[in-house]
Amino acid sequence: MLEVINVSKVYDDGTRALNNVSFTVEDGEFLVLIGLSGSGKSTMLRCINRLIDPTEGRILYNGQDITNADPRELRQIRRQIGMVFQHFNLVKRSSVLRNVLSGRLGYTNTLSSVLGLWSAEDKQKAMENLRLVGIENKANNRADELSGGQQQRVGIARAMMQEPTLMLADEPVASLDPALADSVMRYFEKLNQERGTSVICSLHVLGLARRYATRIIALKAGEVVYNGDPDLIDDVRFREIYGDEAVEHSLR
Amino acid sequence: MAIEPLTPEQVVKKTVKSDEPTKPTPEPTLSAKRLIGLALLLALMTWAYRAAQVEPQLLWENRDKAVPIITDLLTPSLLTRGEETQQVVVRVEAPCETSTGPVVEAGSGAQITLSSNCLNPGDSLTVSGSGLRPDTGGRLYWQHPNAQGRLRDERFRTDANGNFTVDTDIPQLLEDLGGGETELQTILSWESGRLRASDALTETFHAIIETIFLALMATTLGSLIAIPISFLAARNIMPRTPLGNAVYGLTRTALNITRSVEPLILATIFAIWVSFGPFAGVLALSVSTIANIGKLFSEAAESIDDGPLEAIRSTGGNELEVVWFGVVPQIIPPYLSFMIYYWDINVRMSTIIGFVGGGGIGLALSHWINQTQWNNAATAVWAIVIVVFAMDYISAIVRERLI
Ligand SMILES: Nc1ncnc2c1ncn2[C@@H]1O[C@H](COP(=O)(O)OP(=O)(O)OP(=O)(O)O)[C@@H](O)[C@H]1O
Ligand SMILES: [Mg+2]
Repeated sequence: MLEVINVSKVYDDGTRALNNVSFTVEDGEFLVLIGLSGSGKSTMLRCINRLIDPTEGRILYNGQDITNADPRELRQIRRQIGMVFQHFNLVKRSSVLRNVLSGRLGYTNTLSSVLGLWSAEDKQKAMENLRLVGIENKANNRADELSGGQQQRVGIARAMMQEPTLMLADEPVASLDPALADSVMRYFEKLNQERGTSVICSLHVLGLARRYATRIIALKAGEVVYNGDPDLIDDVRFREIYGDEAVEHSLR
Repeated sequence: MAIEPLTPEQVVKKTVKSDEPTKPTPEPTLSAKRLIGLALLLALMTWAYRAAQVEPQLLWENRDKAVPIITDLLTPSLLTRGEETQQVVVRVEAPCETSTGPVVEAGSGAQITLSSNCLNPGDSLTVSGSGLRPDTGGRLYWQHPNAQGRLRDERFRTDANGNFTVDTDIPQLLEDLGGGETELQTILSWESGRLRASDALTETFHAIIETIFLALMATTLGSLIAIPISFLAARNIMPRTPLGNAVYGLTRTALNITRSVEPLILATIFAIWVSFGPFAGVLALSVSTIANIGKLFSEAAESIDDGPLEAIRSTGGNELEVVWFGVVPQIIPPYLSFMIYYWDINVRMSTIIGFVGGGGIGLALSHWINQTQWNNAATAVWAIVIVVFAMDYISAIVRERLI
């Protein structure tokens, strides 16, 4: 269970990106974060694994305080939480396999991983995960030789190497075309349903959010303006979240 | 399919008006300010002309001096045949008291005759020879036991019968050297036998190889040291803590200061420190490589994509793993490319620092220039041109492949 308690984030330049945000995520949930650009979705997700340090508030994962963890504890927590990024964040010049294997870094010993001495088990696991996302034949290609959709699947395979109990995804399909977006989202669904991994995913297409979320949290100017059932977002709520001028093209 | 709804911001952007009145540009006027500026500029240029002692007429007036150098430079010493010599030595006493007539000296089938046997510095003298090798170039030298080198160098050529005559005078220097017995050497030399590489070519070859390896050594050494330094001087790698900021600032400053010291000065220092030779050159170029490539490296490190670093961090990797898996693969191509570029630069530099004791081709070149052996110097100059051109070309190709 993830507990976000009164979290605020003020950036160095004074921008208040999150303002007193609280919510909890039960195990096995598929939570989707929505909100306008700049509403604080990325900031929220990055606070959870402390790629960004929150200014105020606490975040607990399975009772363990992430916000006050020392570097060692933090790495311990991080390896249970996978993360997938909008721009994939692969090491472009490295092979697909090496990118996927780097997902094990939280578990391996530094010297052997630096020397490239991966265990047979890890290698097997990497191939398995690549097979799961359908690109095991690309294992030895350089990451930048793959298409966007394939690169994102490498990103997912990498996060799956952590055998995470929680998966964070920051707009994982925003740089993919709509047809691909759906197929990539299905991997998260599969992970959620078959392995029981909790998912917190930010999306900006409400249609996708409705299709995959078990719950939606909407942020507006750093505050939670909606937290509940995906199906209960009606016209009025939509305007609250996205502003008066916005129209939901995708569903009309 | 899903289409992104318009956000209010986007709506607002569309209605922004862009009909601001444009300011008229002022008419250019020849104001007093401009005139004063122009006058000051002229004064400055005049001063510079004087300070630099620009005397273009010298180029034309002294053209005789340039011709032999330029012809020699265009005819580098490359191949020679073996050299054979014929030599006759006449011993004379100078200064002396009374003349007793001409001197005849015979040797190796030839005969040399001097117009007088009593010689005083400044006296004119006719030297003639017979029975020598016909149609051959030769030289006359005065050699005094108290002097290291040869005193006078008079050239001649024997005719078809093996005779020659040279009018010369007795070098004033003999008096200063204490007089006594002086050798007058007549040496004929001619080429014979097979063509082979000239001594200058052989020496140039060894020296240019030394230069290339000296530069390689300096580049490797300098780059290896510059790698960790470049991390310390990269903003995105150094943590933003007081200590991190201090280390970053100090490293940057140290690099900037070192970079402003010319390699020529470094080479002079190291030549005194570890004595003349390629090692002094290696040290000088290593230091300048660290300073210059360290900056380039740190800029390359600063321009890497943070995404992969974030990703490694999020898997629970520690900082060393972040650097190894996230930073290193991204910086290898630019770092290698800069290293090859610097090898190229260091080959050029090493030719210059050789003049102040840095070894390699520069040392050979400076030696030949001091001895006014322009043909040999030309060989070195051409070798430098060829190697620099080749390095430039190869480094461009390799760097293109890397990126
Ligand atoms: N490093 C930073 N320094 C200062 N301000 C920042 C920084 N990162 C984000 N912000 C600001 O914080 C606010 C929230 O940004 P955030 O990236 O979390 O929004 P988002 O909901 O992810 O938007 P998007 O949909 O565009 O990705 C924005 O106003 C943004 O300009
Ligand atoms: Mg974002």
